[in-house]
Amino acid sequence: MSSEVRFTDFKSDKQPTWCPGCGDFGTMNGMMKALAETGNDPDNTFVVAGIGCSGKIGTYMHSYALHGVHGRALPVGTGVKLARPDLEVMVAGGDGDGYSIGSGHFIHAVRRNVDMTYVVMDNRIYGLTKGQASPTSRSDFETSTTPEGPKQPPVNPHALALAAGATFIAQSFSSDALRHQEIIQEAIEHDGFGFVNVYSPCVTFNDVDTYDYFRDTLVDLEEEGHDPTDYDAAKEVILDADKEYQGVIYKDENSVPYSEQHGVDANMSEIPDGAPENAMDLVREFY
Amino acid sequence: MAEDLNWAVGGEAGDGIDSTGKIFAQALSRAGRHVFTSKDFASRIRGGYTAYKIRTSVDRVQSVVDRLDILVALTQRTIDENLDELHDGSAIIYDGERSWEAEIPDEMTAVDVPLKSLAEDAGGAIMRNIVALGAACEITGFDVEYLDEALEKRFGGKGSKIVENNKKAARLGQEYVQENYDLDHLGYNLETTDNDYVLLNGNEAIGMGALAAGCRFYAGYPITPATSIMEYLTGRIEEYGGHVVQAEDELSAINMSLGAARAGARSMTATSGAGIDLMTETFGLVATSETPLVICDVQRSGPSTGMPTKQEQGDLNMALYGGHGEVPRFVVTPTSIDECFWKTVEAFNYAEKYQTPVFLVSDLAMSVTEQTFPPETFDMDDVEIDRGNLVDEDEVEEWLDDQGRFRAHAATDDGVSPRAIPGTTDGAHMSTGLEHDELGRRTEDTEVRVEQVDKRNRKVETAKEREDWDYREFGDADADTLVVSWGSNEGALVEALDYLEEDGVDVRVLSVPYIFPRPDLSEEIEAADDVIVVECNATGQFADLIEHDTLTRVKRINKYTGVRFKADELAEKIKQKLTEEVPA
Ligand SMILES: Cc1ncc(C[n+]2csc(CCOP(=O)(O)OP(=O)(O)O)c2C)c(N)n1
Ligand code: SF4
Repeated sequence: MSSEVRFTDFKSDKQPTWCPGCGDFGTMNGMMKALAETGNDPDNTFVVAGIGCSGKIGTYMHSYALHGVHGRALPVGTGVKLARPDLEVMVAGGDGDGYSIGSGHFIHAVRRNVDMTYVVMDNRIYGLTKGQASPTSRSDFETSTTPEGPKQPPVNPHALALAAGATFIAQSFSSDALRHQEIIQEAIEHDGFGFVNVYSPCVTFNDVDTYDYFRDTLVDLEEEGHDPTDYDAAKEVILDADKEYQGVIYKDENSVPYSEQHGVDANMSEIPDGAPENAMDLVREFY
Repeated sequence: MAEDLNWAVGGEAGDGIDSTGKIFAQALSRAGRHVFTSKDFASRIRGGYTAYKIRTSVDRVQSVVDRLDILVALTQRTIDENLDELHDGSAIIYDGERSWEAEIPDEMTAVDVPLKSLAEDAGGAIMRNIVALGAACEITGFDVEYLDEALEKRFGGKGSKIVENNKKAARLGQEYVQENYDLDHLGYNLETTDNDYVLLNGNEAIGMGALAAGCRFYAGYPITPATSIMEYLTGRIEEYGGHVVQAEDELSAINMSLGAARAGARSMTATSGAGIDLMTETFGLVATSETPLVICDVQRSGPSTGMPTKQEQGDLNMALYGGHGEVPRFVVTPTSIDECFWKTVEAFNYAEKYQTPVFLVSDLAMSVTEQTFPPETFDMDDVEIDRGNLVDEDEVEEWLDDQGRFRAHAATDDGVSPRAIPGTTDGAHMSTGLEHDELGRRTEDTEVRVEQVDKRNRKVETAKEREDWDYREFGDADADTLVVSWGSNEGALVEALDYLEEDGVDVRVLSVPYIFPRPDLSEEIEAADDVIVVECNATGQFADLIEHDTLTRVKRINKYTGVRFKADELAEKIKQKLTEEVPA
């Protein structure tokens, strides 16, 4: 079926309720195109969505999907992929969902290196709850709950990922459609946990991290000649707080996904009609 | 009833108390004797009193009693802690060469054995507990050769030399007592039989049930007393193509299990106390997304971190009502170790047949207690697997709407929707914790909301009709006194019947393994003069449910010391309750 799959097959018939101009439109389009381009179809794809404007993505896409509770999308994706290595698993959510309430899960998902793709729609604000500071908000960014700014430095998700032993770290910009799609595609094709932070502007609540801001400041790492397989070069990019960039930042070409390390390759949905044939052996162990 | 022997070994945590007790228990089981074990332990790894107790008889034993006949004491505290249970005829084995001076009441038989020196003679001081086991065999007239098999099982993997040394240690202990004491086995004559028994605890039974039922995925986070379920599955589940993940916390554990379940695997997580609180966040999602998931709570003493190594049945309300909003779920409560196995199998079937979370609620007493069973108790041919309304490629067609979309949450008459697992052609759909329509799409439409709530609740009605929500019955069916219990109190209650009978008190016992849905006990309660509900908690959570269901006040026996009920203690309490008025 895969050769006939078009990216629109991944579209549901539900019209997005995102604000006109929201960055999430572009993020989603790129994901759907990347899925189609990598030979997947809705019946073999599982999308796990977080909670937030970004988390609504599961509703607007067509595939097997679960829209869960705030911050826990990664564990769900992990369970899906380990039970069903044959599925393409994509996890998507916001910066609040992933780096605040879900931050504990984030570093553990990274270090587990399960073969799935994690897309964070980073708008540096809480959209769905109407404009509070998020963990990636600038320290002087004024919001309803932080009238003088959060007064804390933003988290650096790439640094967290690198420190946790990530095997694929990337960043894209939702309005640079082609590059965004390419980067997601590379994350899907990566053997292991493919992490992509996507600049996905919130046009309603964030007037600082806007399309114009990213267009003006964004540096493409590929054009810069950055070698993503060079760990030290990746570290330098990641720790450079003054630079906004897109591209694949780090890629471990020797990545061994969790399934291979732990021999988890069975389709766990297939079980016998009764107890397994040798089940009495389980009892005999207690002699 | 055949005479039973109550034996214990106690010392400091780290003294190898557990493995010593287990070896003796296995030896007794090998000799065709029934065994029931219990453990006293504190929440620390080294230091602190700990004991392993064994009750053994040729008849079935299923409870602890207030009597200790033989005690292997490695510390004075072991003696002090057990003074209540020791009696004039008790024998205490200790090592007089060690620095502590054993203070042993005059009436008891003090058996001073140089455990350490004899162990050194056999090849190493570490075997002093085995020397003590040899001594215990001699005191009770139990053939030391039964120990050999248990020692082989325990140490076989470490090489024959170690096994031989241990056998020698046991014999040195036995011979020492033979040569230095004239005890004439203190009158014991431990009968043996040709019966083959298996010896296992409740958590092992749950793990084994999960494997038999086709559980392939387990995610958990270590917590006493649930951890041993994860330990059991690890290393075994792989043989069936499954996998265990030690998650970063319980939130992750339940969400991973949920993910695996949505992917089509039979999936489970287990926890206790503080962990169940964290998992509560996801209960509603499991129910609303209609995901089949078994969530096991091995209760311990709460609230908060409470008493992690102590018994309690305090989480019933949590299992029934935990989580915001109104969430249909099943609550199954095994009443004995063998039922831990069978109810786990059932739990997986209910989960898939009704696409709903099933709470499997056990407790600490059951989880650490080992008991002997004939192996046929766990006859694997009797395990039936019902995956419910799983639809394949062809069947999916029946459930598509006019635009070809799969109605994963179709509001059927019985409340059970078709379930297409990922990969099923044309079955793609999304599910969410948000209120949704038949297609799984978010909605706030008032009619659809009511339709979906009713649909999910209807599953419970369907299950009430289709399944047997029975109770287990013991004692005299015509008795005027009715005792109702849930969870692990059953064994002690059943044995309490013998004590009560001796005193001429007839009692009917109903032991209830299902809390929701649960059997209707109205008739039984109406027929009784006295109704007493027994449970290990302070407020009587199950008694409240019964009063609610039957509009009848009941008497309550509650224990929340952290220690399980004992048979003789229960008999006393029941007699006492009979003299009390029913609360107004
Ligand atoms: C446990 C819990 N706490 C709080 C909320 C409320 N809530 C919904 S979305 C959200 C933040 C979303 O921010 P982000 O992840 O950045 O996504 P965005 O809406 O910006 O795409 C919060 C706090 C919730 N749903 N669940
Ligand atoms: S509030 Fe912001 S993030 Fe949410 S839909 Fe609107 S633009 Fe997008």
